[in-house]
Amino acid sequence: MKKTISLTVNGMERSVEIEPRTTLLEMVREQLGLTGAKLGCDIQVCGACTLLLNGKPVSACSVLAVDADGCEVLTIEGLSQKDSLHPLQEAFMEFGALQCGYCTSGFILTAKALLDECPRPSEQEIKDYLAGNFCRCGCYQEIVQAVKNVAGPHLFSPPRAGEDEGGGSSRKE
Amino acid sequence: MKNFDYLEPKTIAEACALLRQHGAEARVFAGGAQLTILMKQGLYQPKTLINIKKIPELRGIIFDSKTGLVIGALVTHRELETSKLVKDKFPILCEAEREVANIRVRNVGTIGGNLASGEALTDLSQIFIALDGQVKITGPAGSRDLLVEELFVDFYQTSLAEDELLTHVLIPPMPPRSGIAYIRFSSSSTVDKPSVGVCVRVTLERGNENARSVRVVLGCVGPTPVRARKAEALLAEKSIVPELIEEAGASAAQECNPSSDLRGSEHYKRGIVRALVKRALIQARERALRN
Repeated sequence: MKKTISLTVNGMERSVEIEPRTTLLEMVREQLGLTGAKLGCDIQVCGACTLLLNGKPVSACSVLAVDADGCEVLTIEGLSQKDSLHPLQEAFMEFGALQCGYCTSGFILTAKALLDECPRPSEQEIKDYLAGNFCRCGCYQEIVQAVKNVAGPHLFSPPRAGEDEGGGSSRKE
Repeated sequence: MKNFDYLEPKTIAEACALLRQHGAEARVFAGGAQLTILMKQGLYQPKTLINIKKIPELRGIIFDSKTGLVIGALVTHRELETSKLVKDKFPILCEAEREVANIRVRNVGTIGGNLASGEALTDLSQIFIALDGQVKITGPAGSRDLLVEELFVDFYQTSLAEDELLTHVLIPPMPPRSGIAYIRFSSSSTVDKPSVGVCVRVTLERGNENARSVRVVLGCVGPTPVRARKAEALLAEKSIVPELIEEAGASAAQECNPSSDLRGSEHYKRGIVRALVKRALIQARERALRN
């Protein structure tokens, strides 16, 4: 009954033995130990389980692992390089774009797919692309600001307490 | 989810043979956007899952000025949304796709799967019907073409036989002086399934502004998408004046069978149908005048 699939996960080739009914989310969390993606609604609505499959965001809770045979998977764990975070991760911290963090890996991966597809999105394009990810802490404004900042740092300046107003930071408008 | 045998046919013929062999115990799997959820919920418990994604003939979108647009069953919502060819020939499909579910569902869900699932709460089928679209269906005995309108039988039921595969959607070019409008209404969030989705196509006479033919297609307000034939008949060969638009909207609101659910009461949905039919008629007529 079991089947062995080969896929690339975060740049590493992996061979995994699974049952056909195993979801991609179950496989990455339980068999590969990558627990950044979360199980939320389980019906492709909330986005907590978002992974990038061949560069495109999918709900891993509803993708069969067997159907990802031969594909490239990116999880949040594969986004940072050694000691340096991805600019989106930095921006989410900088703007306070999370509280509990449950939705964050999904938001960041979706935003990455957007920026790969369209490096200079408008605010409306960011909102449309992220419309299917839910943040129950309600950090939407900060999330959009963070993504906007990565998309066009020249356009936007983060609210920083106590910053020297005359500092001439490159982020200033 | 219950376990199942998993098969990956490489050709349409192989898929049909497998379907014949496994009969009602098998399910066709394309994007899996909906099927996986129904299987997790235990509503479908197939013994065999036939993944048709490895069949290259089911991919791609082509256009021919005589026969029109041919959409492979495996084309995803997102591919349709972002296709330059579709944007050029049938921009209405790209517009509508932008509002289908969310980006993740659009990345995996397929056009063929959307139709073959018999899901009643959709956007695309209304548009396909308004465009007089057909589906190509292949079985062990060969292929047949069927109007999209005739594909739907009841909630989650289509006229596909157990050993048949929906392979393509065929959309003829719109006649000259035609305009089409689709308006969907969501009662909760924008990424929810529509509460009501209305598509209207107006084709005007060559010499004057009378309607030569009109399609009024109502979605999500019954077990299948339906054409409001009385409303269509009211409008045929007439000048689409405001009084007639009112009449058509009122007629369409009675030509459907909405159920009261979390997306609105029956009465509420009839009201929405009426409003959307009027709006879509005005838009479609304006577009027809420009074409």
